[in-house]
Amino acid sequence: MEKMSCPSTVSGRTMFCHLDAPANAISVCRDATQVVVAGRNIFKIYALEEDSFVERLNLRVGRKPSLNFSCADVMWHQMEENLLATAATNGAVVTWNLARPCRNKQEHLFTEHKRTVNKVCFHPTEVHMLLSGSQDGFMKCFDLRKKESVSTFSGQSESVRDVQFSMKDYFTFAASFENGNVQLWDIRRPDRYERMFTAHTGPVFCCDWHPEDRGWLATGGRDKMVKVWDMTTNRAKEIYCVQTIASVARVKWRPERRWHLATCSMMVDHNIYVWDVRRPFIPFATFEEHKDVTTGIVWRHQHDPYVLLSGSKDSTLYQHMFKDASRPVDRANPEGLCFGLFGDLAFAAKESLMTGEAGRKPYPAGDRRYPIFFFKKPDVTEQFAQVASALSVFESESDGSSRMDWFIKTARRYLLSGKPFAELCDHNAKVAKELNRPQVSTTWTMLRIMFSDPGNPAPPANHNMSKLGNIPLMNSFNLKEMSSALNERNKENRQDNLHNLETNLNNDENEETEGSDGQAEYLFGDAELDDDDLYSMEHENQAEEAEFSLPQEAFPLRHEIVDHPAAPEPPAEKPESPQVSGSEAESFCLTPMESFSLISVSQLLYQPQLTPSFFSPVVREMLDHYAEQGDVQMAVSVLIVLGDRIRKEIDELTQEHWYMSYIDLLQRFELWNVSNEVIKLSTCSAITCLNQASTTLHINCSNCKRPMSNKGWICDRCHQCASVCAVCHHVVKGLFVWCQGCSHGGHLEHVMEWLKSSNHCPAGCGHLCEYT
Amino acid sequence: MFVARSIAADHKDLIHDVSYDFHGRRMATCSSDQSVKVWDKSDDGEWHCTASWKTHSGSVWRVTWAHPEFGQVLASCSFDRTAAVWEEIVGESNDKQRGLSHWIKRTTLVDSRTSVTDVKFAPKHMGLVLATCSADGVVRIYEAPDVMNLSQWSLQHEISCKLSCSCISWNPSSSRAHPPMIAVGSDDNNVTYSGKVQIYEYNENTRRESTTSSGPTKFEVQVMAQFDSHNSQVWRVSWNITSTLLASSGDDGCVRLWKANYMDNWKCTGILRGDGSPVNGSSVQGAALGAVGSGGAQTQNSVVGAASAGRYV
Repeated sequence: MEKMSCPSTVSGRTMFCHLDAPANAISVCRDATQVVVAGRNIFKIYALEEDSFVERLNLRVGRKPSLNFSCADVMWHQMEENLLATAATNGAVVTWNLARPCRNKQEHLFTEHKRTVNKVCFHPTEVHMLLSGSQDGFMKCFDLRKKESVSTFSGQSESVRDVQFSMKDYFTFAASFENGNVQLWDIRRPDRYERMFTAHTGPVFCCDWHPEDRGWLATGGRDKMVKVWDMTTNRAKEIYCVQTIASVARVKWRPERRWHLATCSMMVDHNIYVWDVRRPFIPFATFEEHKDVTTGIVWRHQHDPYVLLSGSKDSTLYQHMFKDASRPVDRANPEGLCFGLFGDLAFAAKESLMTGEAGRKPYPAGDRRYPIFFFKKPDVTEQFAQVASALSVFESESDGSSRMDWFIKTARRYLLSGKPFAELCDHNAKVAKELNRPQVSTTWTMLRIMFSDPGNPAPPANHNMSKLGNIPLMNSFNLKEMSSALNERNKENRQDNLHNLETNLNNDENEETEGSDGQAEYLFGDAELDDDDLYSMEHENQAEEAEFSLPQEAFPLRHEIVDHPAAPEPPAEKPESPQVSGSEAESFCLTPMESFSLISVSQLLYQPQLTPSFFSPVVREMLDHYAEQGDVQMAVSVLIVLGDRIRKEIDELTQEHWYMSYIDLLQRFELWNVSNEVIKLSTCSAITCLNQASTTLHINCSNCKRPMSNKGWICDRCHQCASVCAVCHHVVKGLFVWCQGCSHGGHLEHVMEWLKSSNHCPAGCGHLCEYT
Repeated sequence: MFVARSIAADHKDLIHDVSYDFHGRRMATCSSDQSVKVWDKSDDGEWHCTASWKTHSGSVWRVTWAHPEFGQVLASCSFDRTAAVWEEIVGESNDKQRGLSHWIKRTTLVDSRTSVTDVKFAPKHMGLVLATCSADGVVRIYEAPDVMNLSQWSLQHEISCKLSCSCISWNPSSSRAHPPMIAVGSDDNNVTYSGKVQIYEYNENTRRESTTSSGPTKFEVQVMAQFDSHNSQVWRVSWNITSTLLASSGDDGCVRLWKANYMDNWKCTGILRGDGSPVNGSSVQGAALGAVGSGGAQTQNSVVGAASAGRYV
């Protein structure tokens, strides 16, 4: 085959022209300067100019329209530039000679087929040989010098959809059939096919030999697949299979690109795809210009891989430039990323991204680590074909802060009800402390101090002191209580001086306080302050307290509280510094100004007329803050524990939102019991109704398998007790677990015990029980 | 802080999405090889593939789990212009023996005329509702009126976004204070168009979705932070469960973790790589812009998430 120069690698552009009617097929002449468009109502030749199509010739001439012009297929001879052949829907095979001087260029008319001719094909090297395949199941070979066919090939099966002369063997052609078969014929032996194999399920609409005569045949079928067959071996071997999204109507190998082929569909899908057969899942390129199904595709020049022509049912003729093609793979996300519930991170990425710089796209902002000349421009097609993703899961180590263990443990261990307010706070503070969440712990303690005030209109039971009674005593009480709270914390931190402290604090005789480290930590959430400062403050405070002797005047009282920054400070501090988390040590410094304001606040705090409503805005802000920081657990827990003390401060919708979010989180972690408790304790009507829905349970009697209609233990049909433990044969009250297969069961513990030893049903029914 | 555990995914082409289920014990991956795989975490922390099946006749872009209240249900969407809903069938003891579970297709949603680029189930309180978006810029919202019947889905809404959509995200909040919202991100690479992120709000009164564009119109969208240290395209972002940690993955093959400090300054707190190797420039500070204001936390988050997920934004 003669090698031709490539005319238009760079020149040309994507362009189109309107046809008068839908096209069925197109074909280009040898030198790629003209294209013929054929259809039911159109048969024209267009010249391919630099930036437009120009109509050259209308071959549809004559007064009365002949069905001979109604073309299903057209082919321009690749050796003889004036010769065309068309396959007519009435069964005629027509050849046209453009060199004829008159307007009607029709040369030969072969009317041997009985039904529509689907395909005509000139021999690639033999000038006068034409092959046709028809709906009637026959293929005919014509010698254009004779008036009739020279040989007829019977496929012995249904319609012929495509015939293609082989590029490799002079005598061989392939034919594809509606029943899914592909046959190989020797042109000299019309009696019998050389070889036949089933290529697709359903019709094989098209086939195409690889242009680089390698004996490869691509076939496309209604089963949406393109298969590449190696015909050089004894048996046709499927070497590649491309799955497209619609039935394949046309397939054409791309010139000069060994692995590429173009396809289009005649159903549903209007696009033209170019595939790399080595990567059969995602198109290498797509042309999306057509508005209706594409009926004909042809590469403009047999050595130019960049220009594709197509005709469509939407009555347009397009020239597609490869540089304008869309590349689906560029839009395909090469990475997947998902945060798991427990803080683990699943990450999938293209391997080339993970391992090296090779597959990396340059980014405008520039990765300046490598000079630009280090990049050898990689072959885009090679790069395209070799691709895989690596999947990995990043699991946080057990001490990692992103792990959600704290949430589960906290949820399980928090007490939300059932004890006096102060104890709940203490308990929860302790839980938080043990889980290494000092800020939360501090908050709990502060809450207790703020709201345990006897001045509280709704005081907890163990704080029933008269409001107007001995105020100093109240203060000393508070201090004492707080000291013991501190003491508790110290207990965990500083086992060594535990006893010492305990006695000290309990006796209100604080001559000397050790463990001020612990207290400092308590004060500010993290041991991040200048310890000396705190120490001195704390020390002073304790010393004052030791001297304290129930004075009656207001002044000493105030004085004392001035020295007691611990109580008011964190809540006053919080709104100003939204987050004091362990990792942000540098962020926090106590200026004299701040400490001054703190002290002045603290003066207010313990004034006798102080009511909890004073704290409410602070607490509300605090809850908002926690919710905002993603710790809705804290917000809800505080909300429940404080109950009426704070509820009115926060609007109903916000509360509901918090509850819903927290319940959702609990359910994600499968903390059903906690979730139910929260629902039960909530006061929002929208929440409490959550566990009032679908509470009906329909049960069948385990003996007679009939629905239990009445209430009670006895089935009214078989008059036996329905819920008897199959292990201990006693009536089960409380948790009853049963196998949904055989409906036998019993006490949870008994059944669990039983299942350790046997998989069979304890009732002896022989069922292999499955409990979920 | 993190341990990398590599999994032999054995997908034959790119993996486009990874998705954890509601309880974090199952994982689904989807790939261009047209298959979806389901992974279950065993007690020893290993991930095992328990199902792998061909789902579509094109690249599968996204896979997502429904709330377990509706059963073990997955939805996938594909280049083949369809979205599909899958349900796991229990009790096929034959498959169980081989450690494989059985997933069957409950429905195929064929309304799109172009590639379906994302699919997401709505928050549970809305019922069984599924949103898809497609490359031709149409967001479709389907509902299964009977949650027991996964094979019947009716198309409730069709919203035309005008721009090619690449991702959608539901507002996760179940509060009555916020109406249901969908954020839509576009991968349209035409710089002249605005509104690459759009938010649609479902209005119960008018019974239709009203639009809010990403401009400062009805819904105030603020830039909370901007990160640039990937030095490449950012493909995916994901929030942790409490919305305190943001992970982003870029074309440099790394995952970066972002966390806000007490001042709402977002900083890079970690760089992860699949093979566990140290990453050049881990010391690089995240160029986080100071953020202002703080809207309703969760809605803001979903918006920011969608914004970054629409990668050309």
